[in-house]
Amino acid sequence: MDRNRLHNQVASMRRSLFDQLEELQDDTNPNFVQEVVTLFYNDSTRLIQNIEQALNSRPIDFCKLDDYMHQFKGSSSSIGAKKVTNECTAFREYCNAENAEGCIRSFQQVKQEHAILKRKLEVYLQTVRQASQTA
Amino acid sequence: MAPTLPSGDQASDQDNWDNGRLARKRQLLTEIVLRNRLTALVVDGDTTCRVLEQLLLRSYEVQTQGVDNGRDAVALIASGVKFNLIIIDMILPVLNGLEATRQIRDMGVHCKMLGVTACSGESERQAFLAAGVDVFIEKPLDPEHLVPILRELDGQ
Repeated sequence: MDRNRLHNQVASMRRSLFDQLEELQDDTNPNFVQEVVTLFYNDSTRLIQNIEQALNSRPIDFCKLDDYMHQFKGSSSSIGAKKVTNECTAFREYCNAENAEGCIRSFQQVKQEHAILKRKLEVYLQTVRQASQTA
Repeated sequence: MAPTLPSGDQASDQDNWDNGRLARKRQLLTEIVLRNRLTALVVDGDTTCRVLEQLLLRSYEVQTQGVDNGRDAVALIASGVKFNLIIIDMILPVLNGLEATRQIRDMGVHCKMLGVTACSGESERQAFLAAGVDVFIEKPLDPEHLVPILRELDGQ
């Protein structure tokens, strides 16, 4: 894939994924979107693992669960991951009601949306790496 | 036409892509020029959120500092450092945002405080306002909410 096409692809992926992030990337922060995406990718993976562990522990610590999910919802919304954010909101409602079964079901949806997002982020980061190698 | 990802999964991105809203955001982003040098403290336990909020503020040439827990925020304010604006999350490690806000206000700090949080319930909103924030904003912090506040602080 030639250089211009790769760079255009990176730019259009950025726009389609992160409209606000795109605005914050400029000459003084040329790799900003990539850095934030990498940060979110790593942090969100860790949070998913923490939530999974908390859901598997007995008794379930709903306060801890809520804190984790609050953090996950916040970072997801900040990068514009709306579907993940919506699933987090649904989860927190079950959490507030201390509904363990609801939390477990809802978490499957959170993981599903997060997995879809992660794949897109992986494609984005891979494309950025390819584009920088042809620069 | 909205750009597509190589995976072809355009439909799932459409809820993040709104041409009208994006155009309005761009307009807001380019319209403000601050006359004064403003300072802000961002208090958020999540690195992604803290980095993004600080960068958004810096894009308007607001000098920012960030801390990742409520105790450090209170300590920083208690040390005498002054800010025009404090952005604080509700759920924070060590000392939560509600208590940190109360302690900051109890010190006699009257600067603008924005409660920017992933919490979205009315009871949470009321609790944060009662603790002392001036404005409650559900994440993400965006220019539509921030720019009018910066204009106000800048005396525009």
